[in-house]
Amino acid sequence: MTVTEEYRPVFAGKVQDELRQILTRYPTKQAALLPALWLVQRERGWISDRNMTEVAEALGVTPAYVKGVVTFYTMYHQHPVGRHFVQVCTTSPCNICGAEEVVKALLQQTGANDPGATSPDGAWTIVEVECLGACGFATPILINDDFIENVTPEKVPDLVRKYR
Amino acid sequence: MADSMITLTIDGVPVSVPPGTLVIEAAKQAGVLVPHYCYHPGLPVAGVCRMCLVEIEKAPKLQIACATQVTEGMVVKTQTAPAKDARQGVLELLLINHPLDCPICDQAGECELQDFVFQEGRSGTRYAEYAKRFNPVEDFGPDVLYVPNRCILCTRCVRFMEDVAQEPVLNVSERGDRAFIGVHPEARLDHPWAGNVVDLCPVGSLLSKDFLHKARAWELDKTASICTGCSQGCSITLDTRDEVVVRVRPRPNLEVNRYFICDHGRMNYRWMNRGDRVEAPLVRRDGELQATDWDEAFARVLGILRGASGKAVALVSAGASLEALSLAKRLLSTFEWTGAFQVVMGEEAPLAGVPNLALRAERAPNAKGAEQLGYTRDYAAAVAAAKSAAVVLVLDDPDCAVQTHGALIYAGTVLGPDAPCRAAEVVLPIANVAEEEGTFVNRDGRAQRYFQAKPAPGMARPAAWVLGELAAALGVAEVA
Amino acid sequence: MGFPHKPHPKETVVLSQYFGDPEARTHKGWVKRGGYEALAQALKMEPAAVTDVVKESGLRGRGGAGFPTGLKWSFMPKEKKRPHYLCVNADESEPGTFKDREIMRWTPHALLEGTAIAAHAIQAEVAYIYIRGEFTEPWAIMEQALAEANAARVFGKIAIHLHRGAGAYICGEETALMNSIEGKRGNPRIKPPFPAAAGLFGLPTTINNVETLAAVPPILTRGAAWYKAMSLSNPKSTGTKLFSVCGHVQRPGNYEVTMGFPLKDLVYELSGGMRAGRTLKACIPGGSSVPILNREETERTLLDYEGCVAAGTMLGSGGVIVFDDSTDMVYQIMRLARFYAHESCAQCTQCREGTAWTTKILERILAGQGKTKDLDLLLDLSENMTGKTICVLSDSCAAPVVSGIQKFKNEFEDYIAGRRKPMLVA
Repeated sequence: MTVTEEYRPVFAGKVQDELRQILTRYPTKQAALLPALWLVQRERGWISDRNMTEVAEALGVTPAYVKGVVTFYTMYHQHPVGRHFVQVCTTSPCNICGAEEVVKALLQQTGANDPGATSPDGAWTIVEVECLGACGFATPILINDDFIENVTPEKVPDLVRKYR
Repeated sequence: MADSMITLTIDGVPVSVPPGTLVIEAAKQAGVLVPHYCYHPGLPVAGVCRMCLVEIEKAPKLQIACATQVTEGMVVKTQTAPAKDARQGVLELLLINHPLDCPICDQAGECELQDFVFQEGRSGTRYAEYAKRFNPVEDFGPDVLYVPNRCILCTRCVRFMEDVAQEPVLNVSERGDRAFIGVHPEARLDHPWAGNVVDLCPVGSLLSKDFLHKARAWELDKTASICTGCSQGCSITLDTRDEVVVRVRPRPNLEVNRYFICDHGRMNYRWMNRGDRVEAPLVRRDGELQATDWDEAFARVLGILRGASGKAVALVSAGASLEALSLAKRLLSTFEWTGAFQVVMGEEAPLAGVPNLALRAERAPNAKGAEQLGYTRDYAAAVAAAKSAAVVLVLDDPDCAVQTHGALIYAGTVLGPDAPCRAAEVVLPIANVAEEEGTFVNRDGRAQRYFQAKPAPGMARPAAWVLGELAAALGVAEVA
Repeated sequence: MGFPHKPHPKETVVLSQYFGDPEARTHKGWVKRGGYEALAQALKMEPAAVTDVVKESGLRGRGGAGFPTGLKWSFMPKEKKRPHYLCVNADESEPGTFKDREIMRWTPHALLEGTAIAAHAIQAEVAYIYIRGEFTEPWAIMEQALAEANAARVFGKIAIHLHRGAGAYICGEETALMNSIEGKRGNPRIKPPFPAAAGLFGLPTTINNVETLAAVPPILTRGAAWYKAMSLSNPKSTGTKLFSVCGHVQRPGNYEVTMGFPLKDLVYELSGGMRAGRTLKACIPGGSSVPILNREETERTLLDYEGCVAAGTMLGSGGVIVFDDSTDMVYQIMRLARFYAHESCAQCTQCREGTAWTTKILERILAGQGKTKDLDLLLDLSENMTGKTICVLSDSCAAPVVSGIQKFKNEFEDYIAGRRKPMLVA
């Protein structure tokens, strides 16, 4: 983003209406912070420092405060990620069912190669996450908002093809 | 009422305190300092450092003294093995990532981590992993540097900005052992009271750029004083090294400034060390000012005062001591007297979380004292009256552009080569606030004492002494 | 039922009756199955009377702490002077646990109904259901169910809102959950004050787990005595529990059994036992934060609160993680420590630094650079991390480490002595 580019607010039009609706659910503006951040991430794919300032102004808190909250919760992206953001659980219950092999297969099949890195074609980012709450369906993964159960290294090529 | 106090025992010592008192405060009465980091009487309780764990009879687990209120008959033990082990454990954990920076860290000598490790820590580390967490130093704002490696995440700074300054520009960022104190790129730590975070930081993580590598804590002499930055009259400590003021810090005063001072007061001390001082009394001889001794200077002034009558005008600084201002008036008691002062005004900057505490618009410490003695703010009128006055006394107002047909006596710390007061008959060199003992009256009418931190240069003496000697010679020193 | 498998005859099916039945998700389908009768009944009762029924039933919190639910509700102010709140803990992040997800996916109305009944019992007019951010499917299903129920006006003046988490295990701690709803970092609070005195937005609040609340409607319609009678071992542990069995079993899934059920049967029979050629090495019965059991202990443990304590562990969330003899226990304990280090909120020194140091020591042992004194160090560190912090995440990291070293010491010593091939894991 160049210095001369004007900032395009997230909370405008329909999104502004959504935020207003959310604010009615809580007795304080501050309580709408997590939902507001989800709105930003939904609209822009990630949350920039400038976005944080906009959220802060909308809710009557400081940008530093918003940043402290954003950096606490791991699901908020503070930089752009691949078109398909993949979260793979590798905590012990899935770990003993081959989760790490699933990660390796995904990294290899997508070309992302390193966890957290985005593939050269910009399509994929694979990260290891902690327990996804589907331990009996090892290995569960999230591709953006799609929760997919029982992933094995064998199923990875088809999965990647499906999302390409 | 006697029965509204609560009696408890701390390390065998019985104490009586009001209900609602925290164990850590009650312990002070028993002469027990419970080691702690995140707790501070001027901040809301956090209970995160876990350093103040103590044993309380009947409680199944160790309790943090900073968040436990006293109950009747409570028995607190701070020196039992479980409590000491727990505190030693906290210290060990704080040290695994804390760098061995003491040789280059400003906090050394006044560092609470050093203090408690020396008192209760292990003698060696068991951290064999060698690599410590590393983050580069950050510039937070006008005066504050943040050294993340040394930070123990006590969050005193975050709580100060959020609760006391009420401008939350500091946050805790990230989670777990990756956590650090953060700011947002669009905001700096430039609040008028932000410098307090450096004092609050128990270790050398938040540092003052102004004080960086200037002096070692054990080289400093500490003197109680009152800030001259404005009319709030905050209690301060002047830290001097080799008789140079190198730092100003707040002194606790629950009635005025609690535990804090503003950055304006904190940063404005360099003038106390300026070298271009008047170091000897000067008298006019052969058309120019020449250095002399106090005897001749006094003789000249007394000659002027005994030989004149009619109007006298005193133009004074609102930063002069109450004693000096009183004596200056008494010195001119045989005249028709006009006394006035002017004060530089600035923008007020309150510390929102503390009642009645602000950097005041009046940028002088003793305007109220001057008023109480009868000096007015009608400076322009006084300057006009001075033209035809027989005697004009200017007290520590170097920029005073006064002209008179009478005799001009100047008592001050500095006198520039082009200053109008160079036209004076006599120049009396005086001490500044760091070089004398005296009294200021703050805007609320509170008289407060300040003490001498360093010697005055050359032959300069406190204004109260100079004016007192003169008044005694004239026989007007005593109040009628 | 042993969802996603066929129900096992030894199960006691109450909460899981409609798992796998898509029609049960709809309001109409739920009413057809007898849903919302309990709520209608409760709304006609005095709040205190509803609480008494739940107290009598012996229902205990199913999130992990096992605190008697009726007793917790009774801590709320009897006289309502200020707004009261109910928070529903759907943050399910305890490794090994995946039961609340199934309740929300298949019987969202059971949760909504239980929520409304609880809100009535504690005189709360607003309830927030805190769903972890990763549960995208349960979120969508709950949203739909809530919309349908609201359209049918079943909740009276009780307003139920969904609140989405954003990736923090610690937000499953009740005070951290409240902070998260308030728009803050998910830091647990020091207690006192307790939530019933000053909780969400500083007002009287109760926090309950999903499974706990889903059990409330049947307790009302079928009676406290019916629930209380379901107890195989200790009368203080009543009702049924969904056990999430995962790891090295043939049929991982959620199995619903009566309290006091033998862990041995759950693992060897209901879950289909070990994989071919494998034997049981270790089992964690209550989610990763409770002590690990070896085979002998696993085979004699009864699954209720007291039975697990007697076996030296805890029932916790009922997430049963099964490790067979192919498991590298040192590696898995390191992986668990790494989980806690990642999730620590950073407030308390012991947790923030201790979880990370524990992980580093275990990584070093795996890399072949460990020494015998490292085991003493780990035990000492774990003791330092237990009972001294604001919340029990620190203690939870210590539990698998201490029990792991006690019961699988030989595996640690193999790495230390160089008998096992080292691996770089950092």
